[in-house]
Amino acid sequence: MRLAVTAVLWAIAPIAAQAATFDEVAAEAAAARRGNRIPEAIGLYRQAVQLRASWAEGWWFLGTLSYAAHQYADGENALDEFVRLDDQRPLAWSLLGLCEFETGKYDLALDHLRQGLAGKDLAPEVEAGVRFHYGLLLSKAGFFDRAKRELQRFARAGADQPMLLAGLGLNALHQALLPNEVTAERQPAVLKAGAAERFRMLGENDKAESGCQELVAQYPTVPGVHYLYGTYLSYTRPEEAMAEFRRELDLNPGNADAGALLALLLMNAKDLSGALPYARKAATQRPSDPLAEYVYGEVLMGTGDLPPAIASLEAAERLDPASIEYHIALASAYSRAGRYQDARRERRVSMEIAEDIQRREQAAQAENR
Amino acid sequence: MTAGPRPATQAWLAAAACVALAGGAHGATPRPAQTTCATCHRAQAQSQPHTSMGIGLELPPNQESLEAHPKLTLDANGYRYQIERKNGVSTYTVSDGSGALTLPIRYAFGARNLTFVLEYQGRFYESLVTYYAEIEGLGITMGDDRIKPHNLTEAMGRQTSEQEIADCFGCHATGAVSGAKLTLASMQPGVNCEHCHTGADAHMQAMAGGKPAPAPRKLGEMAAEEMSSFCGECHHTWETVVRQRLFGQKNVRFQPYRLALSKCFLGDDKRIRCTACHDPHVEVIREDAHYDRACLSCHAVSGKACPKADKNCVSCHMPKVPVLGAPMVFNDHNIRVTHAGDPYPW
Repeated sequence: MRLAVTAVLWAIAPIAAQAATFDEVAAEAAAARRGNRIPEAIGLYRQAVQLRASWAEGWWFLGTLSYAAHQYADGENALDEFVRLDDQRPLAWSLLGLCEFETGKYDLALDHLRQGLAGKDLAPEVEAGVRFHYGLLLSKAGFFDRAKRELQRFARAGADQPMLLAGLGLNALHQALLPNEVTAERQPAVLKAGAAERFRMLGENDKAESGCQELVAQYPTVPGVHYLYGTYLSYTRPEEAMAEFRRELDLNPGNADAGALLALLLMNAKDLSGALPYARKAATQRPSDPLAEYVYGEVLMGTGDLPPAIASLEAAERLDPASIEYHIALASAYSRAGRYQDARRERRVSMEIAEDIQRREQAAQAENR
Repeated sequence: MTAGPRPATQAWLAAAACVALAGGAHGATPRPAQTTCATCHRAQAQSQPHTSMGIGLELPPNQESLEAHPKLTLDANGYRYQIERKNGVSTYTVSDGSGALTLPIRYAFGARNLTFVLEYQGRFYESLVTYYAEIEGLGITMGDDRIKPHNLTEAMGRQTSEQEIADCFGCHATGAVSGAKLTLASMQPGVNCEHCHTGADAHMQAMAGGKPAPAPRKLGEMAAEEMSSFCGECHHTWETVVRQRLFGQKNVRFQPYRLALSKCFLGDDKRIRCTACHDPHVEVIREDAHYDRACLSCHAVSGKACPKADKNCVSCHMPKVPVLGAPMVFNDHNIRVTHAGDPYPW
């Protein structure tokens, strides 16, 4: 993923070169860059920007060349200077985020990769790399559903990529870690979870189920294993899914999403009084968890307690505005509460998201043909 | 309603009847020999079983349309389909030049139009052809027109998932699903009282035993949004259609979804809920004028409701839309001002 990003960067100059009045250092730096003398070019660009700190092009090349040379701290510093001078370059935000990812500044990286992706004009191979890292960081930050939407784009191509399988596995297990933070002891379980999750994303349900069953049999005490199997069973065998979520909560009471999904299944089985304590606990346990807020909102709506239901659903929507489920639930809640304009707005947004999903699915199908 | 009550209920009713009769013989307060929903809710219980919802699903002895058309054939996709009725049993045969597959029709889903659920090698299939009342003949099942079968099994029908078949029986029958599992032993064809009025059976049994019993929830309390969700469990809610991305003209048959798109759909108002127009205990009324009262309950509050007409509102504002690929037409429940040439919205 990184190589593809680098290859594209070299061909791109974000702004026109400045006039020739610029000192000889800048010219030598450009010559070294064109001659593929990378360490020399980095040194010269560094000199040049020390002479003229307002030279955006210099910061740009210093940043991109440093990134390509794995000098991420230097790249981060240079690109940070660049975006101060020109904050309209999605590619610069993206690269800055990638450097920060490598230097371990994950919160900043997440924010800057998001800004990069918001620009929508990245080259496809760059965008893929940025999205992948963005997905890993979302998962690390505990935004598992948002992360899954990013990572599942890579499922088809990822059978033999351990980094991707580890990312998918951690996401599926709801372990807020990056692949390189997984201990050697845990790695087999995480990779197995990733493989099962990948099959599920590809719709190969038999393989996904046998993967989940093996995972539960071989690693029954690894956090998230029963949660993953529960999510797999939720649509087809809700009673078995509830049993898996209960097992997960016994082993790992901190898994708020296991409690939330258990509450959702209880609610679907018309057991609102059973669902409410699980939903409330999950929402309290992780107030920044959109899924927990959403389920609590749905359960409250089931009880007819509309104002707090709406508050929870709005919180879920704020935390993950791209999730169609939260807009759908809000539309219904607003409608019941007589807030017609709000309901119509949420319905419209839901349908737009649905159409967008449909377009992407059709594009993916066309690609696979 | 064509089948008897559930075995457990039947046994209980028999016992209750015996107790009642014995009690009467000994001078106790006489009670009806057999208590049913009709004992108290006579009108609804008499009419509802004859509605399309009440019928819902026909078992072999009651497949009247097939009885009336003992031999139906269709040539489609390079295969010949034949439905034949003999001695009160219908069979479904699909054949090509070299072979044939014949299966008994145990479950005919629907009331006027019939799609068949077939069992083959331990799995359920939705028949690839449907009996359409409009043409009194067979046609490709709605939604299956894109299927190009490669062999007799695929030509016979579309294999369904466990979830899908549970959904089919869950809506077209009563007591056929427990949890997400199919429980055909306790199935009663069609939508009966208990299907919508959860707890009706327990209420009735307790009342028959002379005990106080909580009544099922009064569904009349529901306003529009909640009722759309309730009826939409089978007729497809707005949520279901959006989640499954069932956009385009084919969704005209999902009335709760279409209704929710209407500008006049106010979720907390009872005047736009399903039962404001449709009494589920009687067959749907086809005359446009019947629905004017419901429209005018809001629109005639201040002056003239419409610059074009003063009756048959639905004829313009709920236009008839054909379902692509099937000889069926539905009134679009997306109530709106329409113009010639407007595209079908969502």
